Amino acid sequence: MNVGVAHSEVNPNTRVMNSRGMWLTYALGVGMLHIVLLSIPFFSVPVAWTLTNVIHNLGMYVFLHAVKGTPFETPDQGKARLLTHWEQLDYGVQFTSSRKFFTISPIILYFLASFYTKYDTTHFILNTTSLLTVLIPKLPQLHGVRIFGINKY
Amino acid sequence: MANPSAVCNGHLHHHHQKQNNLLKSGICKKNGITKGIKKNGISNGTLYKKKFVEHFEQAPMYVAVFTFLGFGVGTIFGYLRDFMRAWGLEKRNVATEREQQKDFVPLYQDFENFYTRNLYMRIRDNWNRPICSVPGPQFDLMERVTDDYNWTFRFTGRIIKNVINMGSYNYLGFAETDVNALKTVTIELQKYGTGICSTRQEMGTLDKHVELEKLVATFLGVEDAMVFGMGFATNSMNIPALVGKGCLILSDELNHTSLVLGARLSGATIRIFKHNNIQSLEKLLRDAIIYGQPRSRRAWRKIIILVEGIYSMEGSIVRLPEIVSLKKKYKAYLYLDEAHSIGAVGATGRGVVEYFGMSPDDVDVLMGTFTKSFGAAGGYIAGKKDLVDFLRTHSHSAVYATSMCPPVAEQIIRAMKCVMGLDGTTQGLQRVRQLGKNTRYFRRRLHEMGFIIYGNDDSPVVPLLLYMPGKIGAFARRMLEKNIGVVVVGFPATPITESRARFCVSAAHTREMLDTVLNALDELGDFLHLKYSRYSKSSHPELYEETRLELED
Repeated sequence: MNVGVAHSEVNPNTRVMNSRGMWLTYALGVGMLHIVLLSIPFFSVPVAWTLTNVIHNLGMYVFLHAVKGTPFETPDQGKARLLTHWEQLDYGVQFTSSRKFFTISPIILYFLASFYTKYDTTHFILNTTSLLTVLIPKLPQLHGVRIFGINKY
Repeated sequence: MANPSAVCNGHLHHHHQKQNNLLKSGICKKNGITKGIKKNGISNGTLYKKKFVEHFEQAPMYVAVFTFLGFGVGTIFGYLRDFMRAWGLEKRNVATEREQQKDFVPLYQDFENFYTRNLYMRIRDNWNRPICSVPGPQFDLMERVTDDYNWTFRFTGRIIKNVINMGSYNYLGFAETDVNALKTVTIELQKYGTGICSTRQEMGTLDKHVELEKLVATFLGVEDAMVFGMGFATNSMNIPALVGKGCLILSDELNHTSLVLGARLSGATIRIFKHNNIQSLEKLLRDAIIYGQPRSRRAWRKIIILVEGIYSMEGSIVRLPEIVSLKKKYKAYLYLDEAHSIGAVGATGRGVVEYFGMSPDDVDVLMGTFTKSFGAAGGYIAGKKDLVDFLRTHSHSAVYATSMCPPVAEQIIRAMKCVMGLDGTTQGLQRVRQLGKNTRYFRRRLHEMGFIIYGNDDSPVVPLLLYMPGKIGAFARRMLEKNIGVVVVGFPATPITESRARFCVSAAHTREMLDTVLNALDELGDFLHLKYSRYSKSSHPELYEETRLELED
């Protein structure tokens, strides 16, 4: 099983987020998560929204900013082994449409969560810290930066 | 007044005469704009003599969503199983580091194996199936079972007989064991033995090679040709001899690994243009000539365009007339890899050059392999005598690799003579015609059934799109149960949403075999819901006619 025998794309991970239907699947996934949380009777609406926001940001952080490398061997001698998926997107080119979409979607979720929690202080602190953990790694200035050497190798 | 080249009422008036003199012989003047389902770009109708119809239909959006969901579920379960394996809740079947080396820096990254471990292993029984007969239109398979979910296999000893072969590149049916057909091969085998034990430049050039090279040159209509022992190595060893640093390679997106490897080994700059997209290629050519090499702005030493005749994963045919006109305009070189198209397309089986009615002088380097249509092994490069003489001295393969072995060379000679008609029969021409008939029938029936098929209507490579990862395994296994062997491909070999099953039609397939396969596909398509096409022609035209009459009422 070889990467890219039917196309000469060296690292398919760079183009996965641009594939047709990926954004829609992602939006539907978030919607599904929210509906599941809303259907649990113990959670009030503000709690469900904050939980959606936090769980979504946690998942996004883990899959886009924590896991490094590719789940398959690439023919480029491991150039992307130490890069997170976010850093691999479009081979490091900044401000492409996928990057913009995935930067804006947690912000939209944040707006919605703030509205539905009626700007309550505890919820605000939770939502904001969670948003910051997922927005700061996306800044172009932090491309390839590992603070305190966490997650370096 | 009006522009003299204007078209009024569909009749070309003054321009008509000029067109006749300008265009080369044989180009039909009646052919205006082709009206196929064309997806890319403007139609250059006057360059193509017959309709150039290619389909790359996109499935409805819900299919893409479900494909991603399928991969997502697979990934989640993959993480779960990895977790269980790490904590000892599940047996580890993968290779693990030795106890004494636990504190060393690990040799491999676990994550790079994630896909193989968790997704590929589940459906691994559909690849690497050992066969035990000649890969003709039918073959025998060794039955394989697994006791631990595809981690290990064992052979039961039973042989599954007469499985219909829809995966081998046996386009003209020369993979045969008929004693009469192989008579000359047996004689040569007894005369020369099997081994050459030398390279071309030392003592490995036999009279058989000289005979074969002359025959290949006559077959293709060029001045000279050179043959090599391995098809893949023909590309990867000769492109570095032709281009080097300071040259520019413009390579198609979907080129084969051998071309990509050869291009990388050469050290030239590689730029990729979108698949079969002439506008993209022209833009790259213009940028290359206007801006020259990066930073130094010097002119490129050479610009070479690498394309294939038929792309084996898409089934599309290269737009040769347009590329040749581009290459003449911008003075670039053209390298055409006819691995899948030599013998398979063209009225007499001479490849895409004949298919488009062009002269072989238009292409600078004609490359092809003997593995697909001629039932042998090896490859050739053909073209002008200067080019081939240069390769005889400078090719890496000629200096270091052993040459083609004599029985294989004789097989190619007899197959090529058969196709050319030099053996006194019309069998070769019949094979080529039969392949064309089979291809058109197979593709037409699949379109009518409602499957999404990629590629040109005349290409014997037929990719059938499966999309979802679960269907890859299900499709291949069920086809084997029905005694049909198919090749399936999924991510990461293909783009993530485009997993496919690839059929290779052969001239040796009879109508009954194709009908068996088509009926099985029909059943399986309904069972697995594979009929995504929204543009299929109805197979019951009488019903369609009825509704049309009603609307006109």
